[in-house]
Amino acid sequence: MASINDQPVAGGAGSERGSDPVARTRGAVRRYPGVLALDHVDFEVHPGEVRALLGKNGAGKSTLIRLLSGVEKADEGTVEIAGTALTGGGSREASQLGVATVYQELSLIPKLSVAENYHLGALPTGRGGLVRTAHMKDAADAALVELGVKVDPGMPVGALPVAEQQMVEIARALRGSPKLLILDEPTSSLAAAAVDVVLQAVTRIAATGVAIIYVSHRLNEIRQIAHSASVMRDGRLVETVNTKGASSDEIVSLMLGDAASATEATARHTSAPATDRPVVLSVRELSVPPKVRDVSFDVHEGEILGIAGVLGSGRSELLRSIAGLLPPASGTLTVFGEELRRWSIRDMIRRGVGLTPEERKTDGIVPLLGVDENIVLADRGSVRRGPLLSTGRQRAAAAKLVSALSVRTPDVGVPIGALSGGNQQKAVIARWLHRGSRVLLLDEPTRGVDVQAKAQIYDLVRKLADDGVSIVFVSNELEELPLVCSRVVVLRDGAIATELTGADITESAIFAATLADGTGSAAASTTGESE
Amino acid sequence: MRLSRGVNELGLLAAIIVLYIVLGTKAGGFLTSGNQLGILRDAAQIGIAAWGMTLVIIAGDIDISIGPAVAFGSVMVAKGATAWGLGVPLAVVLTLVIGSAIGAFAGFLRAQYNVPAFIATLGVYSALRGLAQFISNALPVPLPDSGFFDFLAGSVAGVPTPAVVMILLLVVFLVIALKTPYGRAVYALGGNPRAAELAGIAVKRIRISLFAVNGLLAAITGVLLAARLGSGNGGAAMGLEFDVIAAVVIGGTALAGGSGSILATALGVIFITLIGNGLVLLGVNQFLQDVVRGVIIVLAVLVNVLLGRRNRLTS
Repeated sequence: MASINDQPVAGGAGSERGSDPVARTRGAVRRYPGVLALDHVDFEVHPGEVRALLGKNGAGKSTLIRLLSGVEKADEGTVEIAGTALTGGGSREASQLGVATVYQELSLIPKLSVAENYHLGALPTGRGGLVRTAHMKDAADAALVELGVKVDPGMPVGALPVAEQQMVEIARALRGSPKLLILDEPTSSLAAAAVDVVLQAVTRIAATGVAIIYVSHRLNEIRQIAHSASVMRDGRLVETVNTKGASSDEIVSLMLGDAASATEATARHTSAPATDRPVVLSVRELSVPPKVRDVSFDVHEGEILGIAGVLGSGRSELLRSIAGLLPPASGTLTVFGEELRRWSIRDMIRRGVGLTPEERKTDGIVPLLGVDENIVLADRGSVRRGPLLSTGRQRAAAAKLVSALSVRTPDVGVPIGALSGGNQQKAVIARWLHRGSRVLLLDEPTRGVDVQAKAQIYDLVRKLADDGVSIVFVSNELEELPLVCSRVVVLRDGAIATELTGADITESAIFAATLADGTGSAAASTTGESE
Repeated sequence: MRLSRGVNELGLLAAIIVLYIVLGTKAGGFLTSGNQLGILRDAAQIGIAAWGMTLVIIAGDIDISIGPAVAFGSVMVAKGATAWGLGVPLAVVLTLVIGSAIGAFAGFLRAQYNVPAFIATLGVYSALRGLAQFISNALPVPLPDSGFFDFLAGSVAGVPTPAVVMILLLVVFLVIALKTPYGRAVYALGGNPRAAELAGIAVKRIRISLFAVNGLLAAITGVLLAARLGSGNGGAAMGLEFDVIAAVVIGGTALAGGSGSILATALGVIFITLIGNGLVLLGVNQFLQDVVRGVIIVLAVLVNVLLGRRNRLTS
């Protein structure tokens, strides 16, 4: 393995060997309640260098970025930008020293023009304090052309494809001539074909002597543009490797470390896949442009089918499309033997398919209503007495599920918004059990939930499967899929990359399959990149 | 949550009692049974539409077309029963049906095309006022002699008929809001429309029906108003939507949707009516009355907001 540890690396274009680092951390520690997010990290990056930052969720990448960009302060150790230590003056201090950060979520204002977005917060003004419109457009245009993008600067930025929006964002970050540019998964929301625009721009920027920290899950991109990659795990910087010399397997095992084998050793509950049981839900050639392409799979009775994939791989879109929230461009769905070409959310609910959404707070619960009302929401017919709702029946029905699922609430009438995330999630699952749903589509059911509640949700999912309920379990946290699933489908760029069953479901196998690597996305779609 | 609800209703009740004490001692003739029955009759004009408005606002929408819809209803029923020769029963039925249909149309624009409810009902507001004045030539349209209209203008066991209608509808709407799947669905979609849709609630259908019900209630108010005045009047009920929305909001229903109570709206209706009645009895200048009402309404809502904030902080 081409290990070079903590030596500053400057391969390829970054021929600045010996120059002073643009950014440097020494023994940086950052603690969150109950978590050591960053554990004595020594890190440097030099002018003109493109450094990839790798690691799974929770490895400490984001925390390191937040320290470098001044958003958070190190509890111990130092963070220096261009030789000056940050003193806790927030992102303003870091940006004055020359750090610019582009976060994963776009921060553009869609209705404003490209030029206004480019100049946001510092519109060029002339005499009388009026905006110099022509000058503003010219400057934005010049900055974008520099990055290899030609768009009409007077156009609303929301009308551009996502890749070009991303370029406007990067151009804006470069406006103050930063010394260090941090890109946090700049391509995660892009279809594979649109990624090149961003990659070329990154190479151009680095050639001007700007240091770049590039966070991505796509190994093939990293090989194209980064000279070296720092791998993080459990808050530590485990190794900095030369991207040309290290194999994907080596990098993956660095990211996973011993933790992977530990989880793999834990007993898997559902050992045998339930593929001999009847098929309850059958997806055929489902496409939802541009995120989901030609996906087919079956779900069997009592089966827990996992769906894995990095952010932007089309996981949620696939699930929402099956649930009837997102109409597919093509494809069919067979539910309990009945083939459907178009279906609405109400069709699916009637046929016994229920979705618990990823965004629990905005899509899942009605926070002001009681736990009981939230549980009976999808089927209030069964708690009626005559034409009127019976408060008693509603409470009784909810109380039964609250105790079966051990939802912790002082009373079933308490507004659900007052409960913890894990208990809200269990109540949303209870909603479908109350409805008598036989297929549950769980979109990141353990997101934002504490460790204990996670374990309870796993238990609940297994118990439901034992009772014959079929479950589609979408997760961003790879380590939980081997714990609950009897089969896992891995999505990459909107298509099924591989399917794993039984003992083959390991964290490292899933992880390797989720990463687009070399040949993986060669046949990627050209259907565009906008939402 | 529930605490702030209770605090709010108790506060309103206390304010009403204070108003009774103050007006009872300061305003001559306030406590006479004639004036008290008059208050009930006036309350009906606001209250009937306020029940439906409460549900519309709980659902996160608004309907500002009440005043013109009431005027239009009064003209329709008068014209129908006289010039158009429909006879009284058919004229009444037609008025109610058309009132509901116009409301449903505004609701359809809101539900199907996402036209903001404010804009959809603003259009209805302008169109109905104009139509009412056009049909009536801006002149009162006299009602024919009819036992039915006499009954509507009269009283039942001493209580003005409009007040009886208001109280009956209050009971109906209380049950709908608290005890029917429909009513609870209104709370759910006001509290989180996406979650409601995901749970299979027919969000569009409910939205349309809420505006249709509001149109129906405005038409009922229009028929009662025509019976009381003895004529349909295209210029009637000026600014009524202001009182109706104010009553709902004073009752603590949040314009953001998701929470609210019909019972609290009833207290709001009494509060608004008492202030109107008291200002007249105290001989306050007619134009200054509007100023005083405006100030009181904003104060009442401010108190609500501050109470809500305090409860959130302490819970």
